[in-house]
Amino acid sequence: MRQSRKASREASRIAHLQEVMETMSVLEPRPEDAPPPATQALARLKAGAVAADEARPQWFKEFSNMLRRKYAYAAGLVVLLAGLSLFSPAVRAAASDFLGLFRVQKFAAISVSPRQMAALERIAEEGLTPGEFEVVGAEPTASQVATLAEAETATGQRVLAPRVLGAADTIEVVDGAMGRLTINVQSARAILSGAGLDPTLLPESLDGQPVDVTLYPTVAQNWQAEGITLVQTDSPLIAYPPDVDATRLGEALLQFMGLPEGEAARLAASIDWTNTLLLPVPEEVATFSEVRVGGTSGLALSSLDGVRSVLLWERDGRVYVMEGSATVRELVRAANSLR
Amino acid sequence: MSHDEQGLGMTIGEGALPDWKLVQQVRQGDEVSFDTLFRRHYDRVYGILFRLVGNRAEAEDLAQEVFLKLYRRPPEVRGEASLTGWLYRVATNQGYNHLRGRKRRRQRDVQLAPGADPSEGLAWHEDPVRAAEAAEAAALVRATLSRLSERQVRLLVLRQMGLSYAELAEACAVAPGSVGQLLARAVRAFQKQHERLSQGSASGRQGGDGGKR
Repeated sequence: MRQSRKASREASRIAHLQEVMETMSVLEPRPEDAPPPATQALARLKAGAVAADEARPQWFKEFSNMLRRKYAYAAGLVVLLAGLSLFSPAVRAAASDFLGLFRVQKFAAISVSPRQMAALERIAEEGLTPGEFEVVGAEPTASQVATLAEAETATGQRVLAPRVLGAADTIEVVDGAMGRLTINVQSARAILSGAGLDPTLLPESLDGQPVDVTLYPTVAQNWQAEGITLVQTDSPLIAYPPDVDATRLGEALLQFMGLPEGEAARLAASIDWTNTLLLPVPEEVATFSEVRVGGTSGLALSSLDGVRSVLLWERDGRVYVMEGSATVRELVRAANSLR
Repeated sequence: MSHDEQGLGMTIGEGALPDWKLVQQVRQGDEVSFDTLFRRHYDRVYGILFRLVGNRAEAEDLAQEVFLKLYRRPPEVRGEASLTGWLYRVATNQGYNHLRGRKRRRQRDVQLAPGADPSEGLAWHEDPVRAAEAAEAAALVRATLSRLSERQVRLLVLRQMGLSYAELAEACAVAPGSVGQLLARAVRAFQKQHERLSQGSASGRQGGDGGKR
């Protein structure tokens, strides 16, 4: 009797499933909606991928190569997560009732293991995003200029160059851009869950709220013989709604990066999340250290083989990134000669 | 279409390399293996995206994005269902990202585009009445799906395409043992919402007809 009831329930379940599948069949592509031949679609993909790679500025390609593309991508995700941790009550008090502001003034780094990077990479690969990102206004374009004076005219900013390196071989100017991330709490929580973090760290009230990112014009100078690139820009600005407990989210993020609970809590409380950009550094790729650059504190990354290094620092509202086939000491020397 | 628990699976020619082997080779920079994977899975990825977004051009663009991810960052796969699970998961994520963007754009542009053209999407050779009915049925199914959770929609759409329970588990990141139960819940939720919307739609039409008389 019991078995008969079970069989009947199962038959009913299958019947309902088939009924719904039949109803949903109206979504199937009609003949005129058939996809293009796979070979044609493949050719389009190959052409698009190559074009996109060629459109990237040279300095970006070199920077990406150094950290390896997969790590750079995952690093971007962590920065994004760190960015989400900026919704702090402290900033709310400092800014208006409805808006907070974040400007990069400091850089901090945290070493992450291959296992943690793989978890982040997986999230990035699967196309999970914390919302919809759109460029507001024109897409930024890159162009070559001949002199620093031209770069200053194009950007409206004072452009510095390291005296010890002489004139750069190439100077590239990238337009400023504005972007808006409209938060989708469900997706953002899926990212947190995927990273093993508590999804409720992001409150429901954030749904649909905008995070506005302003990137200012950027100048990249390259010295080919020395293999060094200097990128400089006004510090990017992020305006956001004030709805998240920054310290808690930061603490969870640090725990995910492998810090023990107590240490994560202590470090999260000590970081000023309103102006500190936290960079994850894959432990099998590079080491990092704090350095003094022109009287200010900066961050140095160095590849494990010692072949490439990166310096990041901020001074007077400007962010500088110097990267190249050089030791940290050599980059610091060049950075100290900026005029 | 049959909907057994095994699903339809992918037909791989005799002697052809399995997905996991091809992905390994793609990870080592082998373009020919990527081309093989593309040809093997493109139609299905497109099919998922078309069902989600209901527009050929958008589904094509999104399918390109999915394969671009595979091209640039091939995942680490272990079993045979692993790549299809990854592809379908990425495809549904892309589809959902796109739908959210579309929803917001519509909200923002509501003044500019008050309503879609009812003839939009109809093929010239179709009987206008039949085509309109089909479009209405599809709209009703989409409206129904929009009231379900993302996971339920993924399960239903992928199952409707004939994925096996193992593939559904991989694609929806759920335990294989819970697929049957989750699918049954999704079916119940679909039926409930579909019925509710159908009744609303029918009474709306009657009201509209009454107004014309």
